[in-house]
Amino acid sequence: MAGAKEIQNRIKSIQDTMKITKAMYLMSSMKLRKAKEKLQDTEPYFFALEEEITDILLHFPSIEDIFFDNRRQDRLETTKKRAFLVMTGDKGMAGAYNHNVLKEAQRLIDESEVQGPDGKKYENRLFVVGELGRAHFRGRGFPIEPDFYFSANNPTMHRAREITGRLVELYKDEQLDEVYLIYTRMINSMKEEVSMQQLLPLKTNEFVRAEIREKIEQGLLNPEVIDEMDDWYLFYPSPRAILETLVYNYLTGYIYGALVESFASEENARMMAMQSATDNANAMLSELSIEYNRVRQAAITQEITEVISGAKALKKKKLAAQKRKKSQNTK
Amino acid sequence: MKQFHLRVLACNRVFYEGECNMLIFPSFDGEMAIMAGHEQMSTAIEVGEIRFRLPDDTWMRAIVSDGLLKVEKTKVTVLVYSAEKPEEIDAFLAEQEMEKAKEQLSQKQSIVEYHISRANLAHAMARLRGARDSVNI
Repeated sequence: MAGAKEIQNRIKSIQDTMKITKAMYLMSSMKLRKAKEKLQDTEPYFFALEEEITDILLHFPSIEDIFFDNRRQDRLETTKKRAFLVMTGDKGMAGAYNHNVLKEAQRLIDESEVQGPDGKKYENRLFVVGELGRAHFRGRGFPIEPDFYFSANNPTMHRAREITGRLVELYKDEQLDEVYLIYTRMINSMKEEVSMQQLLPLKTNEFVRAEIREKIEQGLLNPEVIDEMDDWYLFYPSPRAILETLVYNYLTGYIYGALVESFASEENARMMAMQSATDNANAMLSELSIEYNRVRQAAITQEITEVISGAKALKKKKLAAQKRKKSQNTK
Repeated sequence: MKQFHLRVLACNRVFYEGECNMLIFPSFDGEMAIMAGHEQMSTAIEVGEIRFRLPDDTWMRAIVSDGLLKVEKTKVTVLVYSAEKPEEIDAFLAEQEMEKAKEQLSQKQSIVEYHISRANLAHAMARLRGARDSVNI
């Protein structure tokens, strides 16, 4: 059993750590509240955008364009250059949040390193948002994009626009053929899920049609949607002219939504991690204080025993001395 | 006058949702108006000012960034990065923003940065115009 002094030292250090975890808990709960507000504010826009994009793509004429990656030269390419936009946090101490995203990204990258089903090769490039993810991939020797430094903290529309600008520029320059987004979605305050979304190339109308048919078969959509699929639709001034604006809007909106959602997930994960750290510290403290009391009690008991036994020994000595005296006197 | 349902959604808020009988917005080749019964259409909105007339015949104005507009059978959806009422804009701050955007534009920049600075400048100018107009009225 450790001495009382050591236990006291331990209690002190746990108390200090608990102060930090408590403070971090409070901070992340405040940040989470803000992030949730942002998430709620952006949700109507995000959902309307998703709906609108699907609708536009559904009615879009079948044309060959770089944004659909279906031009002749695109079809003939044997190597597809893919970009993964991975959203991680700037800091650790957020439970499994960063770990989950990175693990998923790693899995996807490892999988696609192998040849695709159509015999096409893949070349991957990594665009990482958040310091922790950059450090992770850099440490493992992955070629991450230079000059792509974006923080995951306090997402803004401006940041989303800049990220979109970079990606679309590279895409139009044919340095990229596919763009994927990997981020964490907050399902509810207890559950988070890493999810992947293909941003580019856009889905062709045949593809969207097939998706809708599938959804109707699964009973997720109203079958009446089919009647509206062939409605005539005006794209003003022309489909091709609207396509680029569409791509910028779609990517910016989606990336902003993902930034906000990732940020909220991160703070939520951190809050829960700090909560359980504080709980653990409390449990350890109560155990240690029991142990401390026991040790203290044992020390006191021992001392008392020592005192009593010492006193007894003295008493015996005295008695013996008195007896000796008496016997001498009587002699 | 016939009415239709209008939704103006910015990325940080629902700017307006309700009935309206005419919507005017900046298109790539000038201003365009939409009234009830317009054919189904999808188009892009340029940076500038949108105006829409409410059922009680008052006009509502908004300074918007670029975005998308979709006309469906009974409703119109406007999706923009940002939408502000002219009276919400601080003319002084808007002017500062414009100066900043102009300064950025005069620096050597990559193409992406150039596009962003130009968009910033257009937005700052539209905001400033909106803010001044609201004072004049």
